[in-house]
Amino acid sequence: MKTRIPWLRPLFATGVAGVFCLPLYVALVNVFKPSADVVASPLALPAPPTLENLQQVLTRPDGLYWYGLVNSLMLTAASILITTVLAAMAAYRLVRSGRWWSRAVIAVMLTGLMIPPAVIILPVTRILDAVGLMHTMPGAVLVNVGYYLPFAMLVFMGFVRSIPRELEEAAAVDGAGLFRTFWQVVFPLLRPASASVLIFLGVWVWNDFLTPLLVLGPGAGNTVTVGIFRSIGPYQQDFGAVFAFMLLATLPVLVLYLAFQKHFVRGLTGGATKG
Amino acid sequence: MTDERATRPKTSFVGLDNYRLLIQDEGFRHSLWNTVIITVIVVLLTNVLGLAIALLLRKQGRLYSLLRSVYFTPVILSAVVVSVIGRSILADKGLLNSTLVSMGVDNPPGWLTDPSYALYSVSGIMVWQMLGFAVVVYLAGLAGIPVELEEAASLDGAGPWQQFRAITWPMLAPALTINTVMLMISSFKIYDQIAVLTNGGPGTDGTATVAFDVVRTAFSEQRPGVASAMAGIMLVVVAIASVTTLRLLQRREANL
Repeated sequence: MKTRIPWLRPLFATGVAGVFCLPLYVALVNVFKPSADVVASPLALPAPPTLENLQQVLTRPDGLYWYGLVNSLMLTAASILITTVLAAMAAYRLVRSGRWWSRAVIAVMLTGLMIPPAVIILPVTRILDAVGLMHTMPGAVLVNVGYYLPFAMLVFMGFVRSIPRELEEAAAVDGAGLFRTFWQVVFPLLRPASASVLIFLGVWVWNDFLTPLLVLGPGAGNTVTVGIFRSIGPYQQDFGAVFAFMLLATLPVLVLYLAFQKHFVRGLTGGATKG
Repeated sequence: MTDERATRPKTSFVGLDNYRLLIQDEGFRHSLWNTVIITVIVVLLTNVLGLAIALLLRKQGRLYSLLRSVYFTPVILSAVVVSVIGRSILADKGLLNSTLVSMGVDNPPGWLTDPSYALYSVSGIMVWQMLGFAVVVYLAGLAGIPVELEEAASLDGAGPWQQFRAITWPMLAPALTINTVMLMISSFKIYDQIAVLTNGGPGTDGTATVAFDVVRTAFSEQRPGVASAMAGIMLVVVAIASVTTLRLLQRREANL
C-alpha cells in the first residue's frame, strides 16, 4: 500500500492509540491529584502533583496493601515455581514414553485447558474443606498448580519434542539416572519454554481474583487484587485513593512488563502464533 | 444432584431435578443469554478492531513498535483493575458523567445502571482489555505473509481492497482462528468484570453471566446442588461451542 501523504499514517495511528489510551491516562494522572480535582477535571494534568494518595494507601491502618502484597508475592512465587517444575517433568516423561497410557493422560490434560474456573470452584472448595486446606495459603497454591498445570504442560510438550534424544542417550551411557538426566540435560534445554511459562503464569496468578477471593480469604488475609475489590465501596467517590491503590498493586507486573516486553508479548501469545 | 443446603447436612439424591429446575428458571436463562450476547460482541468487535489496528501498525519503525506496546498494556492488567478504571469512568456519578454535566448535558445516561446500556458497557470494557492480544496475533499473522505475494498482486494491477480480499485475509485464517477461540473462551468465563462493574445488576440479573450466576448461587445463596447443575450446563456449552468453532475455522484454513 502506497500512502500518498507520508505523514498521514503515523498521525492517524497515533491519534487512534491516543483515544485508546485515555482510560490508562485517566487512571495514572489522577493518582497525583486530590480527589476533588479528579471529579472537577479528570483530564487535566496535576497542578501541583501530590503524593498524598500514595501515602494514604501505604499507611492505611488496616495494612490492606502491605498484607496483600506479601500474600500476592507468596502465592504467585509458590504457584508458578511448583507448576513449572512439575509440568516440565510430566511433559518430558509423557512425550518420551509414548505408551497408550501417556497418550490418555495427555488427552485428559488437554481437556483441562478449556474448563472455566467457575465450573470447578464448588467441588474444589468442598475438597479443600474436607482436607482442611480451605482459607490457607497451601490450599490456594494447590488450586493454582492444579488449574495451570495443563497449560504449562502443553507449552513444555511442544518443546521436549524438539530436543534430540541423543543427548539423553549419551547421559544414560555416562551412567546418569532418570532424575539426573532430567535436571542436568533436559531442564536446562527447556529454559526458553520455562521463561514463557513463568511469565504467563506469573501474570495470571497475580491478576487472579476468583480463586483467592473464595479459597484464600478471609483467614489468611488476601491478595492485592482482592484488596482492590475490597477498597472500592458501593459508592466509590475517592477516585484518587483507589487509582493509587491500583497503581501500587500493579507495579510489580508493570515493571516486569517494561523490562521484558518482548518476552511478555511472545509468552502471552506464545505457541499460539506459530503456524 | 443433591438437594443439599449448608443448614441441612443430610442430603438426598434428587436425580435430574436440579437440571429441570434450571431449564425453567428465568434467571438462569437470562444469564445464559447475557453470556451469549457478551461473547458475540467481544468476538466480533475485538476481531474487527484488532485487524484494523494491526493493518495500521504493520509498518516497521520505532513509532509503530511503541504503539504496539501501548495496545498490549491492558492485556497484562488484571480484569479487576481494568474494571475499576471502567467503573470510575462510567459510574452514574463517574468521571464521564461529571464531565458531561459540566458540558451542560442535563441527565447523562447510567452507563452501568440502565438496562439498555449496561451489557454493552461491560462488553466494551472487555473489548478494550482484549484488543491488544488480538492486535499482536494479527501482526504475527501479517508478518508471516510472504512479501512476494503482495508485490506480485500489485504488479498484476490489484487495488488495495482486492489485495486484501485475495491475499491478506485468506492468509490470516490461522490468526482469526486463534483469536476467535481465545476470545470465546475468555468471554464465556467472565466473572471479575461483572463482580466489580455491576454485581450482576441492573435488577437481579441485568448483566449476570453464567460464571457469576454459578458463584452467586453456590456461595451467596447456599444452593450448591443448583449451582453444580449450572456448572454442568456451562461446561457442556463451552465444550460444544469451542469445538464447533475450532472445527469450522480449521476447515476454512484447510480449504485455502
